[in-house]
Amino acid sequence: MSRDGDAVDSGFAQFERFLEEWSRRDFLKRAGGAAAYMAFMAGGAEFLAACASGPTTTTSVTPKKGGHVVEGNFSDIRTLNSMLSSDTASNQVIGMLFDGLLNYKKDGSLIPALAADLPKTSSDGMSYTFKLRPNLKWSDGQPLTSDDVKFTYQLAYDAQYKAVSSPRRGDLSKYIAGIDTPDPQTVVVRTTQVFAPFLSSHGRYGILPKHVLGSLDAKAINTADFNTAPTVSNGAFKFVKWDKGQQVTMARNDNYWAGPAYLDQWIYKVLPDSVAVTNQLKTGEIDIGPVDPGQFDALKTTSTVALSEFPVPTFTFYAYQLDPNKPAGPFFQDKAVRQALLFALNRPQIVSAVYFGHGSVANSVEPPISWAYKDKPQVLYSFDKAKAESMLDGAGWAKGSDGIRAKNGTKMKFTMITNAGNKQREAMLQVMQQSWHDIGVEATPSLIQFPQLVSQIVSIRTFDVFLVGFNFDEDPDQGQLWHSRNTVPGGFNGFDFKNDQVDSVLDQAVGTLDKTKRKQLYFQFQDLMSDQVPAPIILFNHGIWGVNTRVQGTDFGPYNQYATRPWNHATWVTDGK
Amino acid sequence: MLAKYVARRFFASVVVVLGVTLITLVLMDRTRGTYVPGIDLNPALRPEDIEHLRENLGLNTPFYVWYLTWIGGVLHGDFGHSMIDGSTVMSHILDRLPNTLELTATAIVIGVVIAVPLGVIGALRRGSKTDHALTVVSVAGFAVPQFWMGLILILIFSVTLEQHGLPWLPSSGAFSAVNGGDFFDRVQHLILPATVLSFFYTSLWSRFIRSSMLEVLSQDYIRTARAKGMSERRVVYLHGLRNALIPLITLIGLELPGLVSGGLVVEVVFGWPGIGKLAFERALQYDYTTVMGVTFFATLLVVAGNLLADLLYGVLDPRIRYG
Repeated sequence: MSRDGDAVDSGFAQFERFLEEWSRRDFLKRAGGAAAYMAFMAGGAEFLAACASGPTTTTSVTPKKGGHVVEGNFSDIRTLNSMLSSDTASNQVIGMLFDGLLNYKKDGSLIPALAADLPKTSSDGMSYTFKLRPNLKWSDGQPLTSDDVKFTYQLAYDAQYKAVSSPRRGDLSKYIAGIDTPDPQTVVVRTTQVFAPFLSSHGRYGILPKHVLGSLDAKAINTADFNTAPTVSNGAFKFVKWDKGQQVTMARNDNYWAGPAYLDQWIYKVLPDSVAVTNQLKTGEIDIGPVDPGQFDALKTTSTVALSEFPVPTFTFYAYQLDPNKPAGPFFQDKAVRQALLFALNRPQIVSAVYFGHGSVANSVEPPISWAYKDKPQVLYSFDKAKAESMLDGAGWAKGSDGIRAKNGTKMKFTMITNAGNKQREAMLQVMQQSWHDIGVEATPSLIQFPQLVSQIVSIRTFDVFLVGFNFDEDPDQGQLWHSRNTVPGGFNGFDFKNDQVDSVLDQAVGTLDKTKRKQLYFQFQDLMSDQVPAPIILFNHGIWGVNTRVQGTDFGPYNQYATRPWNHATWVTDGK
Repeated sequence: MLAKYVARRFFASVVVVLGVTLITLVLMDRTRGTYVPGIDLNPALRPEDIEHLRENLGLNTPFYVWYLTWIGGVLHGDFGHSMIDGSTVMSHILDRLPNTLELTATAIVIGVVIAVPLGVIGALRRGSKTDHALTVVSVAGFAVPQFWMGLILILIFSVTLEQHGLPWLPSSGAFSAVNGGDFFDRVQHLILPATVLSFFYTSLWSRFIRSSMLEVLSQDYIRTARAKGMSERRVVYLHGLRNALIPLITLIGLELPGLVSGGLVVEVVFGWPGIGKLAFERALQYDYTTVMGVTFFATLLVVAGNLLADLLYGVLDPRIRYG
């Protein structure tokens, strides 16, 4: 994609955001119609300006240099090595320090970062050729070349680095056949087969410096000092200090390819919980932080904090035990039972009561923001208690004298598990218990610790029903959750969903790079899933971010929340502090 | 005599430390299931990735083998690397120890300074209004949950004061995010958590001093001291308090591990980057090595604290002999 194309798209994105901002009721209440109109006109001019001059800032004010931003979040980082990290907090800070070949726009489409352009794909779809931007430099002034790129990926796919504890080894060693570096600016990634999600899943890992890590053997890389105190970086910021348990301090990288950031410092601060995030957004101790849906109203009235909200590819779902050999397995073998239980849930009410309206009821397994989303798949589930009851009657589950349904002497009683400490999930289990009680099904909530929940899902698998959240990439492939291949121990299809048609559609969809064809296949997949409902999705979550009004240039969106923020170098503060 | 006593206690301590760390490991190992430390439900991970990580972290070895390896390392002063982030356990402990010491030492000093006079007053004016008032406050001190008190203090002294444009106190961390860390800055951050923690200590210890003082004051030797015409002041402070403080020494001695584990709850509520918070977070994530390292030091300090308390008895009460 050309730079001009970017500019136009970014202009539109800004325009949309502008409309969102100004249409907010609370603003209109304060400012009155006339002022809003004026603001609209002014914003319109800005929009045109943005189209003409390219993606720079979101206001007409000239950005100030200097100052700092303190961002708050709940978890401390674990590692700053992009090939070792798998948690959100670490990935977020890594995203500040290290760019990958590619990055995401906020709608999830790919844009070049260290690469000068999106890669050329060979005609057989088996290799990608990247050209790096000219004169890329590490923060220490050393040139960043194709060797660094190759080295980074080698850590996770090359057999000589097998001892590196990379969570990316499975995919990368399966799909990468080799990486060639014909010249310092060219990287050719050869894959073993056509795998459509490859670029969006694996194209954005922060590139690591070979001149720092290259001399270490595989085992030493796991515990290298670099992982907790990187001496060089290539992103908008460079590492200064990690005060464990408290904060990570970063400073501007003057060698950044997109030009030096406006800010002197970006500080990632660890806070105890979501209440602390709200409190410190109010006091100004932090400038940016993720806002819990329950805290939204508490912040809405704070004049120094601007809130932005948008749907994200994160969802909360519950899964039925489908293995017939498990105690609850026989209940859920019958598709009618699975469907009936979903009809009995008033999901809009769950969204409003548990998430205070900050979420979207799911019609499909794909997130509504995905390019592959089908708004109306084959079966739609609106709350319909009568239908749920008649379906259960039809399936042979008749109400007994105690009000509980039974079939062949077996009562429909089961336990639902989720992780203790997640208030929203706990509340959801209570709503489900009540809703199902109303149709004669006795489901008992049970809370366990998160590690035990994970063990239940991926290996022990003695649960009846579990409730948990999942987060997907931009690519619509959801094979990790639904493909029968992943019913093996350690796989996430712990509810034992096996459907040949679904398997085949998923396989075809990752085996072609033709987006139109993929979309068609994912539509088919969503139809199948809406009919089968092995693990119904209750809602898609919303991302909510609070940003102090002194901070300008942030542009949060569905795919620009944590690790991927192409705008981080363009962020600035109005008071220069 | 004393040396022999200390030597015997030392060997007993080794057994205690081994026992406690072993039990900690077994509890973690038996409840972990197949969870791999540091790995959340991440759809990007394949079963083979998780298996590979498990292998690399040494989770496939039986716990007794793991334990012996760990002990071997400890004997060489090597506490290993964290399973979550790969940095050394020692670096985690050393990074956070100063913060915890700062918080707990402050709270303990404030606690003792306030608790001793309150306890004495309560005992001397037993049954008076002052005594009743002190009783109510101290009962509140250990009845009110620390996390609740912490949140209320944050709400009042950080959020509300700031909203009204008044001087306010920071609500989390040990120093300011930007250009923080000087003495005044640290003291500001210390006020709220130290208040919560010392309130608890004060309540607890003032009750002990009060009852211990009452018991001592009813002893025959106090009556004797008064009978021989000694001033009330000397009776109370020289003969009474000195003896009444003996149980307090045990209590404070037992708080010594608290110097390391800190007020765990207080550290968590105030985001205080100390050892207690570290242990809490890492236990939830099954970071074996870090939890074992912290447990090791905490146990060591319990043992040392007890020993120190026993030795201090000798100083305060010459009748006590070691043997």
